[in-house]
Amino acid sequence: MTLAQERTLAAKVRADFPILHQQIHGKPLVYLDNAATSQKPLVVLDALQNYYQQDNANVHRGVHTLSSRATDAYEGARDKVAAFVNAASRQEIVYTRNASEAINLVAYSWGTSNLQAGDEIILSVMEHHSNLIPWQLLAQRTGAVLKFVELTETEEFDLEHFKSLISDRTKLVAIVHVSNTLGCINPVQEITAIAHQHGAKVLIDACQSVPHMAVDVQAIDCDWLVASGHKMCAPTGIGFLYGKLDLLRSMPPFLGGGEMIADVFLDHSTYADLPHKFEAGTPAIAEAIALGAAVDYLSAIGMETIHTYEAELTAYLWQQLQQVPQIRLYGPKPDANGEGRAALAAFTTAAVHPHDLSTILDQAGVAIRAGHHCTQPLHRFLGAQSTARASLHFYNTREEIDTFVAALKEAIDFLGIFLDKRNWATHSSMPNNPCA
Amino acid sequence: MSLDNLRNLYQQVILERYKSPRHRGKTDPVDRYQKGHNPSCGDTIELTLHLDEAAERIQDVKFDGEGCAISLASADLMAEALRGRTVAEALEMVQRFQSMMRGEAEFPQEFRKLNVMQGVAQFPVRIKCANLSWHTLKAALEAQEAQLAAFVSNE
Repeated sequence: MTLAQERTLAAKVRADFPILHQQIHGKPLVYLDNAATSQKPLVVLDALQNYYQQDNANVHRGVHTLSSRATDAYEGARDKVAAFVNAASRQEIVYTRNASEAINLVAYSWGTSNLQAGDEIILSVMEHHSNLIPWQLLAQRTGAVLKFVELTETEEFDLEHFKSLISDRTKLVAIVHVSNTLGCINPVQEITAIAHQHGAKVLIDACQSVPHMAVDVQAIDCDWLVASGHKMCAPTGIGFLYGKLDLLRSMPPFLGGGEMIADVFLDHSTYADLPHKFEAGTPAIAEAIALGAAVDYLSAIGMETIHTYEAELTAYLWQQLQQVPQIRLYGPKPDANGEGRAALAAFTTAAVHPHDLSTILDQAGVAIRAGHHCTQPLHRFLGAQSTARASLHFYNTREEIDTFVAALKEAIDFLGIFLDKRNWATHSSMPNNPCA
Repeated sequence: MSLDNLRNLYQQVILERYKSPRHRGKTDPVDRYQKGHNPSCGDTIELTLHLDEAAERIQDVKFDGEGCAISLASADLMAEALRGRTVAEALEMVQRFQSMMRGEAEFPQEFRKLNVMQGVAQFPVRIKCANLSWHTLKAALEAQEAQLAAFVSNE
C-alpha cells in the first residue's frame, strides 16, 4: 500500500470517530492508548442509542414486538461475532462482560470439574493478569501446578521452552495471541497443535489480536478463545467466549439464574442449551447489539486492510522511535513491512520515568499508557518497574506518530536537562523487591 | 506543550531532588522498616527510620526504591523534614500533607520547602505519586517495631 492510500484509509475512517476531533490542553488529541481501549465509531454509538430509543425490551422473554426486536438484534449480533472469528456454530459464542469473565468462566466451569492435584497448566510470562489470576485461583482450588513459558532473546514466545515444558501431565495451555506489552504475535496454531498431541486443551486470549487482524478459530483449532468488545470498537461491558461445541456442552454452568435454565423445580433444574446455559440473568443487550455493529464496521473496512495499514504504521513508529536517544524498546522488531509484531511499542527512556513522560505528553495532547499494563510478572521478568506504551489502531496516522515522537523528544529535553548526570545505575536495581 | 503547567508541577526543587536525592539509603540502626507500593503504577518505596530510645523522636529517615520524579522527590523532601520531629508531629505532618494534596492547606513557614509539592494537586492522577512516601511513613510509625511484613498499598 502506498503512502497516499494510507492517508486515504485513515482519512476515510477518522470522521467516524467523534471523540478524536477534540483538543486536549489546547492541542489536537493524539490517542495512542488503543491497547487499553479503542474508540467507538458513530455506528456503534448509534446502535446503542437506537436500541434504547426504539427496541428496548428484555430478550428471550416476551411475546410482544419490542421483545422480539430486541431478541433478534441480540442474537443477530451473535451471528456476526461467530462469522467474524469463523466459529463453526453460533452456539459456540457465549457473551460475557469481558475477556476476564470469559476466562473465569472456563476456569470455574471446566477447570474445577476437570483438574486434579498434580495436573499442569502452561501459561507464559507475558500473560495479562486476566489470563493469570483465574489460573492461580484454580491451582489453589485443585492443587494443579502452573508452568510458565519464558522469552526468546528477541523477547518473543519461546516455542522450544514450551516444547520442553509440555507433557502428558499438561491439561491446559492458556496463551495470549498478541502480547499487550511486547507486541509479539504468538504462534498459536503451532502451540495448539503441540498441546493437542499431549491431550491438553488450549485457551487463546485474543484481546489484542481480534481488533487488529483476521482471527480464525477453526484454523487455530483452539478449544476456547476470548476477546473483549471494548478493544474492538464496541462498548465496555461486553466480551465473548468462543468454545468448541462439544466441549461447551460438557461443561457445567458457571453462574446460575434466569435465562440459563430449561426446567426449574424447587430442588433442581435443567439447563438451557448453548449458548444460553452460560448467560445467566438479563444480559448486556445494548452492548451486545453494539458489538454486532462494531463487527459490521470492522468487517466493512476489512481486517486484512486494517492489518496491512497498521503494519505500515508499525514500521514507521519503530523507525521513528529508534531515533530517540537512550530509548529501550521491548519485544521483537518489525520487518521492513512492519510485519512480525503488533502496532504498539512499550518502551523506557533513560532520562524520564514513564509516569512523568505520560504527564508531559498529555500536555501535548498525546495519550499514552504508563505503568505495568496489567503484566507485572512480565515487567519483573524484563527488569522494568514500569514502561510507557504507545498503541495504535487503524484510525491513527503517520502525522500522529510524528506528533508523539516530537513530544517525546521534547519531554526528554524538558526533564533530561536536569537529569543527564543522574546515576541511573542506582535506579535500576531494587533490593528486596517486595514483588519478587 | 503547556510548559507553564509543567513547570508548576516539576519545580526546580523537585527536579533537583529527583536528580540528586539527599536521603536515599538505609538508616543505621533500622528501628522502623516499611515498604510502600502503588499497585496502579508499580512505584515502590522502602522507608527506614531511626528513632530515639524512647521511640518518640525521629533521629533519621532514609528511603530507597523506584519511582517517578514526583514520588522520589516527595520521599526525599519528606525525609529531610522529619528529622528531629516527634512521632506525634510526624503523624500530624502526614495529615497536613494529604490535605495539601486535596488543595486544602499549606505547610507553615518552617516546612515551606514541602509546599513545592502543591503543584501536584493540579494533576489529580499524580497525587498518589506524591502521597506514596507519606502513606508509607504513616504505616511505619503506627507499627510497634521494625517489621518485615507485607508492604502497604497506596490504594
